[in-house]
Amino acid sequence: MGTAVTTLIKDSPPDAPERRPGRPIAVKRRGRRENLAGYLFMSPWIAGFLLLTAGPMAASLYFAFTDYNLFDSPKWIGFDNFTRMLDDPRWQKSVEVTAKYVVIGTPLKLLLALGVALLLAQSRRGQAFYRAAFYAPSLIGASVSIGFVWRALFSDDAAVDRTQSFLGFDVGGWVGNPDWVLYSLVALTVWQFGAPMVIFLAGLKQVPKELYEAAEVDGAGPFKRFWSITLPMISPVLFFNVLLETIHSFQIFGSAYVVSNATCGPADSTLVYTCYLYQKGFKEAQMGFASAMAWMLLLAVALVTVVLFWSQKRWVHYEEASR
Amino acid sequence: MGINGSVERRTVLKVAGASLATAGLAATTGCGGGSGGSGDGTVEIRFAWWGAEERAKRINQSIKLFEKKYPKIKVKTDFQDYVAFWEKFQTQAAGGNPPDVFQNAVAFLRKYDKRSVLLDLKSQVDAGNLDLKNFRAGVEKVGEVDGKLLGVPVGSNTMSLVIDEKVFKAAGVTAEQGWTWDQYFAALKKIHDTQKVAGDTGYFGIMYLYDLYLRQNGKAFFTEDGLGFEESDLTEWWQDGYNRVKAGIVTDPKKVEQLKPKSALASGDGASEFTWDNFTVRYATEGDSSYGLAPIPTTDGKETGQYLGSLMLSGFARTKHPKEVAQFISFMVHDPEVGKIMGYDRGLLSTTEQFDAYKPTDAPNQAIAKYEADVAEAGLLGTITPHPAGADTVEAAFLRVASDMSTGKTKVSDAVKQFFSEAKTALAT
Repeated sequence: MGTAVTTLIKDSPPDAPERRPGRPIAVKRRGRRENLAGYLFMSPWIAGFLLLTAGPMAASLYFAFTDYNLFDSPKWIGFDNFTRMLDDPRWQKSVEVTAKYVVIGTPLKLLLALGVALLLAQSRRGQAFYRAAFYAPSLIGASVSIGFVWRALFSDDAAVDRTQSFLGFDVGGWVGNPDWVLYSLVALTVWQFGAPMVIFLAGLKQVPKELYEAAEVDGAGPFKRFWSITLPMISPVLFFNVLLETIHSFQIFGSAYVVSNATCGPADSTLVYTCYLYQKGFKEAQMGFASAMAWMLLLAVALVTVVLFWSQKRWVHYEEASR
Repeated sequence: MGINGSVERRTVLKVAGASLATAGLAATTGCGGGSGGSGDGTVEIRFAWWGAEERAKRINQSIKLFEKKYPKIKVKTDFQDYVAFWEKFQTQAAGGNPPDVFQNAVAFLRKYDKRSVLLDLKSQVDAGNLDLKNFRAGVEKVGEVDGKLLGVPVGSNTMSLVIDEKVFKAAGVTAEQGWTWDQYFAALKKIHDTQKVAGDTGYFGIMYLYDLYLRQNGKAFFTEDGLGFEESDLTEWWQDGYNRVKAGIVTDPKKVEQLKPKSALASGDGASEFTWDNFTVRYATEGDSSYGLAPIPTTDGKETGQYLGSLMLSGFARTKHPKEVAQFISFMVHDPEVGKIMGYDRGLLSTTEQFDAYKPTDAPNQAIAKYEADVAEAGLLGTITPHPAGADTVEAAFLRVASDMSTGKTKVSDAVKQFFSEAKTALAT
């Protein structure tokens, strides 16, 4: 990876070589025309960004401080939405459910991704097939249909329930059981470990073979080699995956919504943060409250990101630290 | 890797952004043509409802008839299931672009009237575009709120008790007109003790049933602007419910959840279930026992508190075609052919023309017709209290909190407090 970066820099032209005094006007005009063309080509994206991202974000920030039911014009209420939120038992529940999901789901998913990546990193027959097979669930992951499949798998008297009964512990379907249903969502995200796995695979490929050879000569066993070579060498990739997957987990919505049949239940057991936000905004028409919730989520994710970045100094090793 | 990765990601985002923007532009242009007219005087109205595929088939068939009779009016349709329908409707209404005509229910009348979304159909009745004659049993009153006519009923239904006839018979229990709650609960216990199956699938979480119970006791679930009962009333109702779940007389709520969308009655995990009478057709298809309709238990051996509820058709207050909207509604509720096509899909047909035109041939529909006739004959029918704005949110909260309570996730006293606090917020907005 490091080599790719350096080549890129080496090959790129030196900064603004043609900007000399007395440059012909035609060239200048051509430059301007090229700029214009550039902006023109970018304009769909710029328009999309302004209309669909920046605009709504600004509006939502304003609504967060108002009482807004979509029909009457928003009333400014200062920080009321935020204080109300902290007193709301369902909001607290949604934070609790989301935290549980993130804390349990993310490490499991990364562990599995790393484990399988380690297995697939070795060359063996049918490697391409296995890689594709393990990656496939991530491709369909975001779709609503997989939520329905999950619901079908984990409901009463379906595949999972029958297997359980066959093995002798009968808890009924997971969907509908407030103590279990969240774990079916965890299982869903863990199953979609393909994306971090691919990134891990790329990271593993970058570890120089000489290090392993040297360690072997020194008599290091497989575990020692993993712990002292592989892990430190892929720690930047690991950091990247932890960051991405954590942020991703915080935003869980689709699977909770579909598996719970749009109720985020039963007994609020799948009331993840975004699901409550959605209910407040679109079912109860409390757009101000929902906007405030969205900004709280943004703050929370930002905070977690900052903490992770701060912590990386202690455990992430960059190979080219000498640069 | 970081640099390469992020460059690629940015490219991907750009492409995504561009396509989103294009989609956005396309959508904007698409919206414009919504309910406009065209050169030859043809107008297009949009009609939306909630329901399943079966209802969609029947409605499309009815619309074909309408378009044949009114060739200058085109009807564009849209449907979702109940929850998705109201989510979409709310967003459309807030954006000033709801359908011209739509299916409506009593819980939403005040809510959307308050926000000036609903067309007062009185003027169209006066103009002769909408016929209000021949409604059965005064059911047209359901759409009247605060002196305005906000909806026209397409059908009427009432709460009922659906029973598994085989289980009731095997347990030696009969359901009789005028039986009391004590007798009902004794019957559930007998069923549980002799048949080893829960007697009821969760009566305590059904808002419309609790309303009947309150009405039997001189109260009501809703007043015009709030709740018509006290915390102590609900504590008693839910505490008893919880005890009965614990005792196994009422189906384990976890089981009920796990079975959804199938009903616990149809799966044989309960012997009776309170629901709207026109919903009972589903049990015959879902389950393999035989199902019958039984009377609502009473407090005094007489009053059931029942009334006719209804699905309605409403119009959008700022529709460009109020006349055509009224003509469409009038046709849909009066035309005998439409009655034959729709059947009891949305409750018993509301006008005599349609009611007389449709003679059910299958047992469940015949049972529904007989049930409502019996209820009407017993002279029990009262009138519904139009629900206050926010009633839909209150109903959802009632169902959810009852489920928390019955699974033991929340103590009864906390559940009651939570419900009252949520209801207060919902009714205030």
